[in-house]
Amino acid sequence: MRLRDLWHDFDWTLFCAILVLSAISLIEIYSATKNSQFEQYAALKQLIWICIGIGLLFIVAALDYHIISEQIPWLYMAGIGVLVYTLALGRTVSGSKSWIVIGPMRLQPSELVKVIVIVAVARYLSELRNVRYLNLEQMIKAGLICGIPVALVAMQPDLGTTITFLPILGIGLLVRGIKPLTFVIMLICFVLALPVAWPFLGQHQRDRITNFVNPEKDLKGSGYQVNQSKIAIGSGGALGKGIFKGSQNQLEFLPTRHTDFILAVVGEEMGFAGVGLTLGLLGFILFRAINTAQTARDELGLFIVMGVFGIYFFHTLENVGMVIGFMPMTGIPLPFMSYGGSSIIAVFMAMGLVIGVRRRRYVN
Amino acid sequence: MQHRDGLELLRSRVSMIGYAVAIVLSVLVFGFWQLQVVQKSHYADLAEKNRIKEIRLVAPRGKIYDRYHKILADNRPSYNIVFVRENSPHKVEETVAALANGLGMSAEELTQKIDRKKKDPPYQPITLKEDAGTGDVAYVMAHAYELPEVSVEFQPRRLYREGQVAAHALGYIGEVTEAQLRESPDLKPRDMVGVQGLELVYDAVLRGVDGSRHVVVNNSGREIETLPDEVKPTPGHDIYTTIDLDLQKAAEDLIGDQVGAAVVLDPRTGEILALVSKPSFDPNLFASGITSFDYKTLQDNPDHPFENRAIRSAQPPGSIFKIIEAAAALESNDITSLDHVYCSGSSNFYGRAFGCWVPKGHGNVDMYDAIVHSCDVYFYNLGNKLGIDKISQFASLAGLGRKTGVDLPGELGGLVPSQTWIQRVKRVKWSPIDTINVAIGQGMINVTPIQAAWAIGGLASGGRLKQPHLVDPGQLRMIGVDAPEVHSETYTVREDTVETVAKAMWGVVNDGGTATIARVDGFDVAGKTGTAQVVNKSAYKKGSDTEDHAWFVGFAPYRNPEIVVSVLIEHGGHGGVTAAPPAHAVLDMYYKKKTGHFNEGTAQKVASLMSQP
Repeated sequence: MRLRDLWHDFDWTLFCAILVLSAISLIEIYSATKNSQFEQYAALKQLIWICIGIGLLFIVAALDYHIISEQIPWLYMAGIGVLVYTLALGRTVSGSKSWIVIGPMRLQPSELVKVIVIVAVARYLSELRNVRYLNLEQMIKAGLICGIPVALVAMQPDLGTTITFLPILGIGLLVRGIKPLTFVIMLICFVLALPVAWPFLGQHQRDRITNFVNPEKDLKGSGYQVNQSKIAIGSGGALGKGIFKGSQNQLEFLPTRHTDFILAVVGEEMGFAGVGLTLGLLGFILFRAINTAQTARDELGLFIVMGVFGIYFFHTLENVGMVIGFMPMTGIPLPFMSYGGSSIIAVFMAMGLVIGVRRRRYVN
Repeated sequence: MQHRDGLELLRSRVSMIGYAVAIVLSVLVFGFWQLQVVQKSHYADLAEKNRIKEIRLVAPRGKIYDRYHKILADNRPSYNIVFVRENSPHKVEETVAALANGLGMSAEELTQKIDRKKKDPPYQPITLKEDAGTGDVAYVMAHAYELPEVSVEFQPRRLYREGQVAAHALGYIGEVTEAQLRESPDLKPRDMVGVQGLELVYDAVLRGVDGSRHVVVNNSGREIETLPDEVKPTPGHDIYTTIDLDLQKAAEDLIGDQVGAAVVLDPRTGEILALVSKPSFDPNLFASGITSFDYKTLQDNPDHPFENRAIRSAQPPGSIFKIIEAAAALESNDITSLDHVYCSGSSNFYGRAFGCWVPKGHGNVDMYDAIVHSCDVYFYNLGNKLGIDKISQFASLAGLGRKTGVDLPGELGGLVPSQTWIQRVKRVKWSPIDTINVAIGQGMINVTPIQAAWAIGGLASGGRLKQPHLVDPGQLRMIGVDAPEVHSETYTVREDTVETVAKAMWGVVNDGGTATIARVDGFDVAGKTGTAQVVNKSAYKKGSDTEDHAWFVGFAPYRNPEIVVSVLIEHGGHGGVTAAPPAHAVLDMYYKKKTGHFNEGTAQKVASLMSQP
């Protein structure tokens, strides 16, 4: 019985880690929004999204990832089609045309396309057998698979989400093999690209970067959010101020506190203990992914899991780094924690891929 | 086999990434450790400052009353518009731009006010508009949501109920200066402190202790709740002065637009019943932050309205000095009041002719006649016979040439010359010719109005000098202020000396003398006029400035006086004409009040009649 197999092979430990994270997330989303005029049902909505996410997780985990990989050409085309549709007829929210509306739901297709891109890149890379280092042509091909949807997202324009596509490619290329010299050249090109890209960035993106370099410069304007976040986290201390008792959270000094800055709310109300638990669980998920990749039956499984890992890792690094001022500000959500349906669904589906690969590791 | 090896290679690369994850997570955890454990108190502090706003509850200043508990300096409610830079979501320019229209102020003016306080700590509120109108208050309240950094602050504000009346005695207040803040630990920025007059001298008594209230605010500055740690402001202590507002007004009305001063004392106690300096100013201007234009106008007024002439206008006393000289002579036994002098209208001393103010002369005069008619020739002879040493010695004893010790700032001591003084200061020997001048109160001798009242009142009281004061120290001790007793001193003067000069001064007013205008029926007024030549004729206002200064000093009753009045009218001409009428008004009012014939209605009527040209 396939269902019994699923029950038997399922990675319940990983699933429990996700449930605990979701619980912390729901508590603090509720704490952050219970007095809000516009978002007072955020925690309830998040709960619904999580339930949908869990359902999708099981479906994805139940499917053989080889079958998903076989369907990838038309899935990929469909993803491109949705992104084009979004660009043409999407809804604009805070300057980005990145939303589509389906019945009662509002979705960011770019988040869901990410999952498709993970599998597409993994399939391409896994089919390059017996390659120790990639050549230029292979790198360009892999880049294009990732690059076409990225270009469409960048046109919305949604810089934050655009950047989150890059780790799929980056991790994939690293694992597939890049010559050390090529790697160094790529790094140099990236650094040199910054001044070239500078004039093309919007004012608030430039502000975020200058502010990251010099955070004390403008505590009123663009530095305000990170400063308030650090105050919230620092004042939480070791054990926190107590749930629903964080002044920075309850008195609304924290910006976008149920989405991008949810970890600052955890830090304020649950203290270092709460942050430690959260980061511990996220770390566990990351290492579990690495372990899954290493025990994967084949290269396709390995690349799929590492693609998911790339997304999780980059989101975690950027979001956690941002709330304590270690990284520049971007609107990148924290996996399993930040409020937002598209992000939750994408993250849970991706987790389904990981668990799917894991349960098939012993099959010979 | 090949396939297996390929997978192994990939797995080893995955392991490398695993190490990177460990490092990154460690760095992030370290970051949280720094914030939440190492620097916790710093951030806890910042969070509290975010959350809690302190509202200053300004203590009302103590009120100042006259001796009959009529209010002179009161408080009225007022509102300030204040701006706090800390935690403001806007740049200063944005705040200024949003406010300029609503407050009816230019952006430059607002920026200037903020820039002036640039060095203050950012949590320190900056006053953008003092004594704001209801329109301003409504505007700020209505925009509380958009501009949480701007708020309305309640402040009781000084209200000097009588406007310009007694302004020099009361003084005024102003915002504390940086120098004062450095010196005094109990002063806080933005406190209002006394700058002049009683407000300055008794600042510590009048100033209250501000309270505070802490409120929890959200990020838009809306007050969520009030914390229970409110400290109520402690109002300053009220002060009851010795001023009699009726006498004060009577004197002020009669001096009118003239430049001058008047001091009314009770010689028995040293209490000041009235202290006038003209022209005056309205201390209310300072209560709500005087505009630079108003200040400059007052400052540039050639008659110097800020100058407290009652204690600072040191002028030659003219003939009022003859009283001191007469007493000095009587006390020295060199001459008795019986000695007669023939006045032909002038007299020669040391080869120079000295004229009497009545050119045809007074004929044969004794001391009584000489005082009643103010005969200069008699006093030339008397002064010449006495010599400068005896004159100056007695004048000093009597209270001239030194400060009276009045409880007001900036008193001048005047000048009584002596041989040692002229050698020390002018580096010349005293010439006996100078003595002839000093004998009629001219030349190198200066007296302030308060000294004139003090010295003449003291002499008429038998040589008893009581330190003039506006506030009774007993009252201050009752509220726990360490105030010294009213200084009291006595010098020896014979009873018949006092009788002789007092009788003659009674004659000045009641026996056809130079000040019959000061006569009050039923009240034995004694007095003496004086006319001081203006030596320094600095001519910024031709005509009036070359006029002599007019003096009058009077007391009543002529024995054991209860009240002494001195009046100085600068460039007022003859003392009997311009200086005696205000003194008469005061004495008349005093007597009516004393005998119960006074009510305020008639007083106002009298005053309005008398002030008509």
